[in-house]
Amino acid sequence: MTATLSTQEQRIATAVKEQLGSAVEDVRVDRKGRMSLVARKETITEVAACLQRLGFDHSIAVSGVDYLTEKRIEVVYFLSSYSRDDLKHLVLSLKAQLDRENPSLPTLTPIWESANLFEREAHEMFGVNFEGHPNLQKLLLQDNWDGPPPMRKDLTFPELA
Amino acid sequence: MKHLVNWSRIYSLWPVHLMTACCGAELGAMMSGRYDPERFGMQAAVGSMRQSDLLIIEGTVTKKMLKRVKVVWEQMPNPKYAIAMGDCACSGGLFHDSYSIVNELEKAIPIDVFVPGCPPRPEALLNAVIKLREKIRRGEVYPK
Amino acid sequence: MSTLDLNVGPQHPGSGHMRIIVRTDGDLIVEATPDVGYVHRGCEKIAESRNIIKNIPMLERPNIADSSHLNWSYIQPIEELQGVEVPERGRYIRTILCEINRIASHLYGMAIMAGIFSGHTTMYMYGFGDRELLLDLAEMLTGARMTFSFFVPGGVRRDLPKGFKEKLLETLDYLQRRLVAIDRIFVNNPVFVERGRGVGILRKEDAIKLGVVGPVLRASGVRCDVRKDAPYGAYDKVDFEIPTFKEGDSLSRWLVRFEEIKQSVSILRQAIRDIPKGPIARKSPIVIPRGEAISRIESSRGEINHYIVGNGSDKPYRVKMNTGSFKNLLALPFLLRGVRIGDLPIVYGGLDYWPVEADR
Repeated sequence: MTATLSTQEQRIATAVKEQLGSAVEDVRVDRKGRMSLVARKETITEVAACLQRLGFDHSIAVSGVDYLTEKRIEVVYFLSSYSRDDLKHLVLSLKAQLDRENPSLPTLTPIWESANLFEREAHEMFGVNFEGHPNLQKLLLQDNWDGPPPMRKDLTFPELA
Repeated sequence: MKHLVNWSRIYSLWPVHLMTACCGAELGAMMSGRYDPERFGMQAAVGSMRQSDLLIIEGTVTKKMLKRVKVVWEQMPNPKYAIAMGDCACSGGLFHDSYSIVNELEKAIPIDVFVPGCPPRPEALLNAVIKLREKIRRGEVYPK
Repeated sequence: MSTLDLNVGPQHPGSGHMRIIVRTDGDLIVEATPDVGYVHRGCEKIAESRNIIKNIPMLERPNIADSSHLNWSYIQPIEELQGVEVPERGRYIRTILCEINRIASHLYGMAIMAGIFSGHTTMYMYGFGDRELLLDLAEMLTGARMTFSFFVPGGVRRDLPKGFKEKLLETLDYLQRRLVAIDRIFVNNPVFVERGRGVGILRKEDAIKLGVVGPVLRASGVRCDVRKDAPYGAYDKVDFEIPTFKEGDSLSRWLVRFEEIKQSVSILRQAIRDIPKGPIARKSPIVIPRGEAISRIESSRGEINHYIVGNGSDKPYRVKMNTGSFKNLLALPFLLRGVRIGDLPIVYGGLDYWPVEADR
């Protein structure tokens, strides 16, 4: 989709590629207001710090996705900006692909404190370990939940019900 | 004498506001001026559950909340009555296949009146209160 | 310093189930820890096992007083993936229903905060009584008081019925008179104002850092609203302002909602005057193509997002919902530190926290 791309998205994409080089992969601008890039577990903290300098000051959501057949769990941070008028309309998806058996990622709460509870929920629902998170306890599930993380695809209906 | 006692119970049902989920919005609407439950003696804002005799379970009860619902029920003095409001409280409703909710509430708490609906209109809830009053008048809910 | 741990909730009037474990020194709160999850119904997991249309009633229940926004937020990424564009009349009707819903939800929030948490039963009766008129309007349009299920991929289910425009304008005239009364009784009343002024202050830098949304954000001086920043529906065709206050206290959060009702009345007047003729919906396929998309909708409590991953079938592969109340939850322990126990209801009410929406 290269027909009409907004200058803001192109500017961010160029800056990211220049400053981060091989630390990021697959930098994409999907349309006005939506772009995404992929980082690795080892490079995600560096990428996050760079994005914060570029103006992304808070996280609007964090989601896990369980790609069962591809044997990976993807964690996506959705970022936006309150303080930069030219970035208010933009949502940037920062993705990381993790191994399904032992998914673990350094926490990004020192950079975006707003991701605190979102990471906690992703830990509870998918079993992702966010290394260094201040409080990775249960949030939504009942106190004596002893099953596997409920959002994983190997838990299906009617076994759950 | 029993008739007089029952009559006085009917006209002073004080509910505990167990506003679980969506149905709570319709209970809030019922407590307002348009439907006016106070003409039936129902006091809208109750201080504590130790001085109330009607438990209206509005909406879905999750497994995490079930223990606390039982605690509230036990703290209420006798005679006490319970209304299960909404499809979720009656049988699980829209979320019946969820991993975290309780489908059969009546096994934990004895329910006097079930009000189906998702959510039930405030008129339906008032109708349930009227049915409960008839049950009390007939003496069918006491002793517990 | 010897402290006392107190339990507030999970059963308490005026709000859904949510517990706050409060550590106090005398009557000053030293630390507050929210304990949530008492209404977690597993919406995201259930959504993966039902098709697009069956998910609509289920996914609009998390916030029943604001259900049209949740509905729109769920439909928006599906339409983006399917490549379906809603016709202009459909967009106007969506905007009209959403603004009616916003006024009703703000009246609810104001009634709970001023009515139950502050003890002014008058505001409770005013808020709920006036809300009934808006629910009547919504019932005239959609057939239901609160659970509309009115938006489908491609447009809306029904057109505006006969007599809707007249009834809407009549209700708006009545509302404007009521707002003057609320202004006189509450906004200019020291008994109410002193309760919330200076209590639970959230500074601008902290609001941005914590990522709060909605009226809480705008009460702290950050002028951000998705309807202006990334317009959708008919919001780019109507004129309105974003009320912002600098103080960041609980009173400002109540006042933002009050001012937003006035703006919604203005939007409704313009929308019903300018609505074009034409179709209300376009056909859309029954499957979600491969891909992913995220929505941004400004609901009454803040920005909500639905992230949908499609895999070509009629059931979504993943639905992630993030709602305004969940985003604002992080601010609660931050605000309660250093506040007196007596002010806890006001701070909590100012956030307009809806536990079902946060727990999903």
